[in-house]
Amino acid sequence: MESFFGRYRNLIVVLAVVLAQVMGLAVQVRKPAVAQGSMPGQTRPEGKGVMLIRLWAVSAVSPFERGFHGVSDDLTGFWNNYVNLQHVRDQNKQLQQTIDRLRLEQAELHEDALQGQRLQALVKFREGYAYATLPAQVIGTSGSNQSRVLYLDKGLDDGLKPDMAVITGDGIVGKVRDVFARTAQVLLINDQTSGAGVVLEKTRIRGILRGNAAGQPQVINILADQRIQPGEQVLTAGGDQIFPRGLPVGAVEKVVRDPERSGFIEVVIKPAADLQHLDEVLVITSLDSKMSPQQQKDLAASEDQKGAEAAELAAEAERKKAAQEMEERLPGLNNPNAPDAGGANPAGTNPAGATPALGQMGPDGKLATNASQLPTPKPIPAKHPDRFSPGVLSDGVTGSGTDTPGQTPNGGETQPKPANPKPISITGAVKPRTSRRVQ
Amino acid sequence: MQALIPDYRRDLEIRRYPLLVYVFVPLAALVLQAWLPRLMGRYAYMDLPLLVTIYFAINRRSPIHGTLLGAVLGLMQDGLTQRPIGIHGIANTVVGFLAASIGIRLVIENNLIRMLLNFAFTLLSSALMLFIVGMMLGLSWQVNWVDELLRAGGNAAIGLVVFPFLDRLQTRD
Repeated sequence: MESFFGRYRNLIVVLAVVLAQVMGLAVQVRKPAVAQGSMPGQTRPEGKGVMLIRLWAVSAVSPFERGFHGVSDDLTGFWNNYVNLQHVRDQNKQLQQTIDRLRLEQAELHEDALQGQRLQALVKFREGYAYATLPAQVIGTSGSNQSRVLYLDKGLDDGLKPDMAVITGDGIVGKVRDVFARTAQVLLINDQTSGAGVVLEKTRIRGILRGNAAGQPQVINILADQRIQPGEQVLTAGGDQIFPRGLPVGAVEKVVRDPERSGFIEVVIKPAADLQHLDEVLVITSLDSKMSPQQQKDLAASEDQKGAEAAELAAEAERKKAAQEMEERLPGLNNPNAPDAGGANPAGTNPAGATPALGQMGPDGKLATNASQLPTPKPIPAKHPDRFSPGVLSDGVTGSGTDTPGQTPNGGETQPKPANPKPISITGAVKPRTSRRVQ
Repeated sequence: MQALIPDYRRDLEIRRYPLLVYVFVPLAALVLQAWLPRLMGRYAYMDLPLLVTIYFAINRRSPIHGTLLGAVLGLMQDGLTQRPIGIHGIANTVVGFLAASIGIRLVIENNLIRMLLNFAFTLLSSALMLFIVGMMLGLSWQVNWVDELLRAGGNAAIGLVVFPFLDRLQTRD
């Protein structure tokens, strides 16, 4: 027996090592089979032992990667700042000329830029606060073409969790898969095990995004459709609970037949983000708004103020319109000789009757602050007076002008005759304004 | 062909290395394998941990040594991926065992042999991984064989540069 082990020692050792690893694989692959109903690419739970090996590997490699990353940045900076100074003099001269030209242009564009900046700031404020994000540096890869993952310099300590979306300004990158204390593993969208729900922008065809053997992301599970053309934009669909809806994924590069299923096609995507040369990425840590309560309060107050201003403008416009309409309907109250102060509301006359313009001088020479202090408009003498004309008695004798309208000469009261046979409801537009100003 | 078969005692000697070399060279291979693709992008056609496995296996001429080193390095490589752990491990284990077994029968200083060994074992590693993933685990995995050929060629070329450098680190009696 001893000679048997001695003779086949090498073979026995290699078989034992391989067998142990096969058993390890069997243990790992048993669990994903249970979770087959889950979305493709979803993080799969693993045993603690497997995680431990992964933790060892990452712990052994990531400090060196972090160091390499720092050293390479320093070296690049040193080279660019101190060593690589060729043609600097010529470049300096050209840059000086460019600066002079730009200064002139800057002066011309200053006013426009200010306005543009204000508007842009508002838009960015709304957009930028849509999701809470955390910037992170890429420090390494898996080192394997068959496994397209990245390692970030942020981890559990920085608040990262599995299944968080990773994006750049250009488009989506992948999702966080495993998180360690100071490192996180990101599964790229061009890995064969990744998965994201996407939608084609124009045709609105939905599919699942995953990588192919060449490392290109492609949309699968799509029935052949002639409408899909190269160049069409692809966006996230938002149904996977990882990527927010509407983020750019890339553009259609080509459409190929699915080799395994007839009638289906695969849409190969040119990713919007440069997946091969990523340095900085953003991790979406929360899909909720990241505004603080105070910021939300300020925004609400701003919107209320904006609404109040709009309502005030609308009321003003309505008031002007009503005044114009009244002016057209009561031409007799217009004094053609009066100066046109205030447009449709000439001084001394008040076409609306019940709508005196505030700010006019009262009889005491002070500024009127409410309608009761305004002078009563004197009626213009009629060219051909009759018994209905104000200030004319029923027997044809001209009165003193102090008679109250609606009072008969014998002192009896009659019902007052309205000056306007078709009353126009304009008080609603004016009264609140008056009362608000007074208050 | 005669020149490729060892017929001197010197050709069959077992090379030994300081302990630090056994620690830091594989670690450096792992780190560089994970870091260089950031700089080279998709053109990082190499597998440095496999290269180190092959080198120590054929120079130590010990199948057990090659097996264990291949297993450890392969498992560490798997640890950096998102795939089940053991795919690279089994592939590198088999390659380490075969490299040591073949190394006994060949003149390992010959550059041509080194290139061929690196090329062939890298392809063998790819084939083993495809077998493990596709057949044993039943997972869908497409392989771009052009990339695998380029990776094998890259390993063969890198081996020409790295192996003589590692030769200098061996312990001299």
